[in-house]
Amino acid sequence: MKNKIKAKGVSVFYGEKQALFDVDLNVAEKQVTALIGPSGCGKSTFLRCLNRMNDVIDICKVSGVIEIDGENIYDKSVDVVQLRERVGMVFQKPNPFPKSIYENVSYGPDIHGIAKDKNHMDEIVENSLKQAALWDEVKDRLDEPGTGLSGGQQQRLCIARAISINPEVILMDEPCSALDPIATAKIETLIDELKSLYTIAIVTHSMSQAARVSQYTGFFHLGKLIEFNTTDKLFKNPDNKMTQDYITGRFG
Amino acid sequence: MAEHLVKSYDEQLSILTNTIAKMGALAEKQIKDATEALLTNDQEFVDEIVGKDDRIDELEKNIEAQVVDLITMRQPMAIDLRETVSAMKISGDLERIGDLAKNIAKRSRYVSVKLPDNIKKTIGAASEKVQKNLKLVLDAFVNRDAKVAEMVWNSDEEIDNLIDISMNSVTEFMEREKNYIKPAAHLLFMSKNLERMGDHATNIAETVYYLVTGDDIEGDRPKGQSDILSGQ
Repeated sequence: MKNKIKAKGVSVFYGEKQALFDVDLNVAEKQVTALIGPSGCGKSTFLRCLNRMNDVIDICKVSGVIEIDGENIYDKSVDVVQLRERVGMVFQKPNPFPKSIYENVSYGPDIHGIAKDKNHMDEIVENSLKQAALWDEVKDRLDEPGTGLSGGQQQRLCIARAISINPEVILMDEPCSALDPIATAKIETLIDELKSLYTIAIVTHSMSQAARVSQYTGFFHLGKLIEFNTTDKLFKNPDNKMTQDYITGRFG
Repeated sequence: MAEHLVKSYDEQLSILTNTIAKMGALAEKQIKDATEALLTNDQEFVDEIVGKDDRIDELEKNIEAQVVDLITMRQPMAIDLRETVSAMKISGDLERIGDLAKNIAKRSRYVSVKLPDNIKKTIGAASEKVQKNLKLVLDAFVNRDAKVAEMVWNSDEEIDNLIDISMNSVTEFMEREKNYIKPAAHLLFMSKNLERMGDHATNIAETVYYLVTGDDIEGDRPKGQSDILSGQ
């Protein structure tokens, strides 16, 4: 299995407070890697390191090395805008732009200059919405505002927006926590389909979701990566006692 | 092991373990009693044994319901998941052991001839060894002891060898006493039942080993040398 992302000795500080301690973690290409752990364990902090989302927080300092395809993304020569073109992100709360469904998806390709002409843009929008399993539900109302969709549809719109610029990696930060079980099931099905095209890292509080959608799982606690394993092993017979206590609900 | 944050989860799991232990104790007693019925020819005792099998069947249903509840309510993971799945499997083996014991008791009705001592002795010894293995493996389940489970697994061969001796004695008896071929045929089935019970105890040993370690016992199942048993 080829590793798309290699993180070595990653530590993160918010001012004086250290949020992540010396994390080594690899994300396998075209697989789903889940990050789990109690609130404040550093899993989202780690995820946000992968597309340098932490750069926008002034007091946040990241040390260590994170390579994507062998290139250190914290290298001075790396253009953050280009990095985020390669590494898309979907957040906990669906956050479509206050624009039409069409524009939500066309916005990225537009600013990155990906579409050759109007026809090409139409094609990108349609394909992205199809890949996000939303096309059939919205194809007759692309001009309506994205914010008028249901929560689950909005989240799939955000996924369509993320894949419209053809990224290599998609980061998902609790993408289903605001959704009902049916919308959650649709997103999970989607994740399963998207992994043939993209490398996916997902932070989730739902252990059963991690068990269902991922092939690898990392368990974080108090800023440390406690165990990284295949999802199968981690949920059936984890190596670390702390992991076992957490996933079986014994954690105090 | 640390307790669950939800206390009622611990209670559910401990009730499940206790129910298995109770079912196992009943199955063990049924083997003992069925063997005694064979050796003593006590017909009333046979009726009592046959009646008691219903209780074992009820407990199997009860365990199934508990397991379904646990999966529905808790979505168990890791050790809890292995415990839940193991309980279901073990209860299935115990139910079969109960049926086989009941069958021995029923067949004993047709074996009212005075048995030769060597046959009595061997069947009695095989039965004792089966009871011992079942007790050991149930203790291993309750104590989450993979080593004892592995020991039981390895010792099934001794049961197979005793059954081999028993079956050979019975066939010799058949050749000598042509008038007793029918009751002797029942003895063959009863011996085979004991061998099967030993196999179920071995299944339970495998389940306990998996429950504790998350892995399967390595190697091939030990087997006795018998031609009669293997049919080869």
